[in-house]
Amino acid sequence: MSEPGRPLLTVRDLHRQFGGVRAVNGASFEVPVGRITGLIGPNGAGKSTVLNVIAGAIKPTSGEIAYQEQDITGLPSYKLARRGIIRTFQLSSEFAALTVLENLLVAAPAQRGEALWQAALGKRYWRPQERAMVERARELLARFDMSAKEDEYAGNLSGGQKRLLELMRGLMAGPALLLLDEPMAGVNPSLARRIEQHLLDLCNEGLTMFMIEHELAVVERLCDPVIVMAQGRVIAQGTMADVRADREVLDAYLIG
Amino acid sequence: MSVAWQFYISTVLIYLGVDVIAGWGLNLQFGVAGLVNFAYIVFQAAGAYTAAVLTLGPATKDGFQQYVGGAHWPFPLPILAAGVVGGLLAALVGGFAIRRLRSDYEAMVMLVVSLIATSVATNQSGLVNGSNGLDLVPKPLATMVNLSPIGYQWLFVGITAAICVCVYWLVHIVTSSPLGRTLRAVRDNEQAAAALGKNVTGLRMLAFVLGGAIAGVSGAILVEFISAWSPGSWLYPETFVYFTAVIVGGSGNNLGVMVGALLVPVAFLEATRFIPQFGPPGLIDALQWIIVGVLALVFLWFWPRGVIPERRRRFPRAGQGGADGGARPAPTGLRSGA
Repeated sequence: MSEPGRPLLTVRDLHRQFGGVRAVNGASFEVPVGRITGLIGPNGAGKSTVLNVIAGAIKPTSGEIAYQEQDITGLPSYKLARRGIIRTFQLSSEFAALTVLENLLVAAPAQRGEALWQAALGKRYWRPQERAMVERARELLARFDMSAKEDEYAGNLSGGQKRLLELMRGLMAGPALLLLDEPMAGVNPSLARRIEQHLLDLCNEGLTMFMIEHELAVVERLCDPVIVMAQGRVIAQGTMADVRADREVLDAYLIG
Repeated sequence: MSVAWQFYISTVLIYLGVDVIAGWGLNLQFGVAGLVNFAYIVFQAAGAYTAAVLTLGPATKDGFQQYVGGAHWPFPLPILAAGVVGGLLAALVGGFAIRRLRSDYEAMVMLVVSLIATSVATNQSGLVNGSNGLDLVPKPLATMVNLSPIGYQWLFVGITAAICVCVYWLVHIVTSSPLGRTLRAVRDNEQAAAALGKNVTGLRMLAFVLGGAIAGVSGAILVEFISAWSPGSWLYPETFVYFTAVIVGGSGNNLGVMVGALLVPVAFLEATRFIPQFGPPGLIDALQWIIVGVLALVFLWFWPRGVIPERRRRFPRAGQGGADGGARPAPTGLRSGA
């Protein structure tokens, strides 16, 4: 199942209409295990809609999504998250009045004391697991060089720090498939390079990712395969070199 | 202390207990889970009604007051039943308002629910005796204990305090546990919480139902104490008194809400008893409403986190004591939408 290169996620003939607008109009592709799959395309191509549909935030009009060889079409996002499909958001989505550490703790799956009856059992029941979660969260903070911000309210972080938090929180959730919606949007070049390196490291550690990204140079360095969308359809897929050579892709980027 | 003062102080303490309990319930919904329940008072009223009819006994056909579902249940069952009814009503209302709507629309729906509830209760005389309300609700244990009136007052203070302790335990285990953290996350960003595997609808319903049950209990205590109930005492502006108490005290902090309940509905409204009458009759009452509204706005604008803000949770490092404290400014609520 987890052997590299096999599809972890398969999208077949996905459609999504908003009123009369066909945001996604027949998209089919696969997300292979252990790689970073890139999704590119001009504005309005339907990239975010595809990601939202995979993440369960939007239901597809038609089409099929299989994950780990099971049909997951139309499941709500929290159920997908519990199966390991975790997404990040293009706009910062931090829990503003929680500290950075608490933001990470919320993400931990299968928490004790999160159900009322468990909470009623008292601290002794859930504290040991929480301590372990705190340790894991601190490891992530150290890895992303954010330890100093542990007790800061997430709402007080800078834009770049919020991007890092977004990524850390996704990792804290223990993803099998991480969906990234422009993880470097709006950050300065040096932080963007750092995020890029983090993504590469995570990929080398075996994490499967699916990423929307506008910066083609970044896509070239990170992503294989690359999927190109335009006007709701997948117009090319393959390595970055393949899609660069594609006539339709050039047209889409020049015209679209 | 003179008997008159003892009466006054014990009465104020009982009102305080009722308001603190109601404040905790609203804090669970609004402060912790971010549910803007403008119908909060309806759940308190439903609890009060339940407790009243379960104490009054069956209504007689030609009795002076008409109501449904009368019974003679012994204390504390009517109060527990009030909690159950408050919770069930919350499940019912939440079922259509919370499952489908976003917070601003949900707030509007709640306001409408509040108005409808008052109209129905006032105009349906068979239900809760119309606008006259219910009267002569027997006091709990009054026939079983042989106490002087003032002794009974203090017994009631004790009952109220005991219920306060139970409700505090409930709200504390919610807010101090991982459940509370997850509810606060849902409050801050629903979509992100869902994307991390949280059943947002279920969590919001849980907070709403618990809050409704607590509101019901607070109403039950009040009606058993004043032994009367009428729809006119539970109009929607009363909800805003509790909102103001929660906001002033410190939204999200149980201790803060206690202070808020002490400051707004109790100290503030009681204080007006002692100022001399001025202006036309009813002026002081009207000014109270205005001042409660202004107080809420001033706090939302300048001190959105209240007198005792929500606690910043810190986690001790290995080999280090767990110390809370240090108050760096938090992101202000009003403008960031928290």
